[in-house]
Amino acid sequence: MKPFFKILLKYYLKYITKLVLVIHRPMIIVVAGSTNKTFVRDEIRRVFIEKGMAVRANPKNFNTEIGLPLAILGIGSGYGSYRDWLPAMKNAFSAIFKKNFPEVLVLELGVSQKGDMKYLLSIVKPEISIITNITQRYIESFSGLDRMMAEYEYLVKNTQASGRVILNYDNESVRALGKKAKAKVVYFGKTVLAEDGVRIESILRTETGEIVEMNYKGKKEKISTARFGEHYAYSAAVGVIVKEGL
Amino acid sequence: MFERTKNLRLSVIKQIELRAAKFPGVISLAQGVPSFDTPECIKRRVELALRRGVVAKYSLSPGMAELRELIEIKLAEQNMFYDFEKEIVVTAGSIEGITATLLAITNPGDEVIIPEPTYTSYREVILLAGCQPVFVPLNEEKGWAFELDRYEAAITPRTKAIFYCNPNNPTGTIYSKEQLLGLAELAKKHNLFLISDEVYKDFLFDDDDVKTSDVESVKRPSRTSDVSPTRIFSLAELPELRKRVIRLFSFSKSYAMTGWRVGYLHTDESIAREIIKVHDCLVTCAPVISQYAAMGALEMAEKDVKFFNQQYKKRRDLVCSRLDRLSHIFSYVKPTSAYYIFPKVLKKDISLDSYDCPESFSWKFALYLLEKSQVAVVPGVAFGPNGEDHIRISFGRSEEDINRAFDRMDKLFL
Repeated sequence: MKPFFKILLKYYLKYITKLVLVIHRPMIIVVAGSTNKTFVRDEIRRVFIEKGMAVRANPKNFNTEIGLPLAILGIGSGYGSYRDWLPAMKNAFSAIFKKNFPEVLVLELGVSQKGDMKYLLSIVKPEISIITNITQRYIESFSGLDRMMAEYEYLVKNTQASGRVILNYDNESVRALGKKAKAKVVYFGKTVLAEDGVRIESILRTETGEIVEMNYKGKKEKISTARFGEHYAYSAAVGVIVKEGL
Repeated sequence: MFERTKNLRLSVIKQIELRAAKFPGVISLAQGVPSFDTPECIKRRVELALRRGVVAKYSLSPGMAELRELIEIKLAEQNMFYDFEKEIVVTAGSIEGITATLLAITNPGDEVIIPEPTYTSYREVILLAGCQPVFVPLNEEKGWAFELDRYEAAITPRTKAIFYCNPNNPTGTIYSKEQLLGLAELAKKHNLFLISDEVYKDFLFDDDDVKTSDVESVKRPSRTSDVSPTRIFSLAELPELRKRVIRLFSFSKSYAMTGWRVGYLHTDESIAREIIKVHDCLVTCAPVISQYAAMGALEMAEKDVKFFNQQYKKRRDLVCSRLDRLSHIFSYVKPTSAYYIFPKVLKKDISLDSYDCPESFSWKFALYLLEKSQVAVVPGVAFGPNGEDHIRISFGRSEEDINRAFDRMDKLFL
């Protein structure tokens, strides 16, 4: 795609998306971090569906400057084809007039270079922000860890003060971001105290999946999942926090 | 000297290609290479990674976390649940995954059962691992199916694994769910590993004559929320077999990425942990630039895979119709997957004595075709003793090449 067309497309989608969000005012939940975003996103979506609410989440790779607006508007991408972008742009415009917009948006945010977060948050203003973890991943695109952390700090600071910031307590860098938040901070992890968030007390692998025991302010919860991996325990913990806040 | 390598053979496919290179006008239906170039969306993903300067360093040995995460999500769509952090390993193509697997799970002297005819390199890798390949013939009359009693008879106290390719190369056939479950029962009974190479799983020709038990309709939660035609059943879907099944996939065929050398395997954590040790010794990690390509493939190339599948189906139909014209020379089982057909040569009254090659009818017949019509095919014996009397024809090549090759064969035989 030619750079000029890409810039045009980027801003076209951005302003249509902003207009749609002003009209429909959905609850916006964003998920950021180096890994485990998709599993957390899916868990939150499940929580809202269980509550009978209409929810829309972005497909895996629709989390950047062009992908995020497409995800919010619920339209497909034209990828590298000008011909395929024409109907996509038309669909974007039609989205302004569509009824039945979802009540909740659960959006992954992809941050792979300086300024990404600022741009994405110029489109959405999250009520709940979740940071799954921060690792060395993507660090090559930033000139040092501090620059990369600044992106996440921007998210924490720009989450609505009336909302919540949900952070992984087990990751030192993520935990430290709690001090920067204007919104209420809730933690999750294996090492967090149960009064400060959801404590994962045990993860037991069975032949058919994982059994996770959690403690949230003294209230014990046990869930089993037919999936494998510790990341499902962390996702489940975020799900408990979101559910408790509804 | 060379104890480990002395019994290894240079791939017969390579040998045929070397001989074919001597004929300037040759049309090769020998190599299993897609005629397509890597999809543009994948190239764009790689260009972006190059520009950002993120491809020059090693990744973690099992592969980039973001790619493994994507693979976990993709597998879950196919009813397979594996932990990206501990159970998925990105490999330098499937052959590296196979090598790492065999070196990890076997001890020298072990036996590995392989249904044949099957992919030529399995034998070499098994030998390289110091093990013995035990060939068990597939039944051509039953559409190249397993016969479980033959497998049971082949199992000895030294048997460590059963290693199969599904859909199968060179026959282009799919093992039914019932057959695979029978194999799983044998594996449980005799405490064996099951190695399932599923590199052709995305090419399925949705024919009316394909039994519904072999393939399953699935609705994928994809970006277009469309219904994918079908998928094959894999033993890796069964949680109770997690500690037995090692499943391999490669991006080479599905995404026309043979040169990128990238694939993956997945299995239970207890086995993956051991395989990673060997993988780390062999390659440290899969090429990082190719891992970015693999991400592009999984994120954006679904429609390209569908397009390739449609094209291969057309080519399969073309090859079958051209073979039908030569029904006095060849008989065949119609392939339902991959891009190979494995016809049996019926015409034996050809003078083949002058060809300088191993003592095998299919070898000599392949050289006869090469010399008389400048069409390169692979002798069936390359895929195991049961492949003798057959040739493998790849329809990975363009329709034009296929037609030109068959025009030449028509001239020779009609």
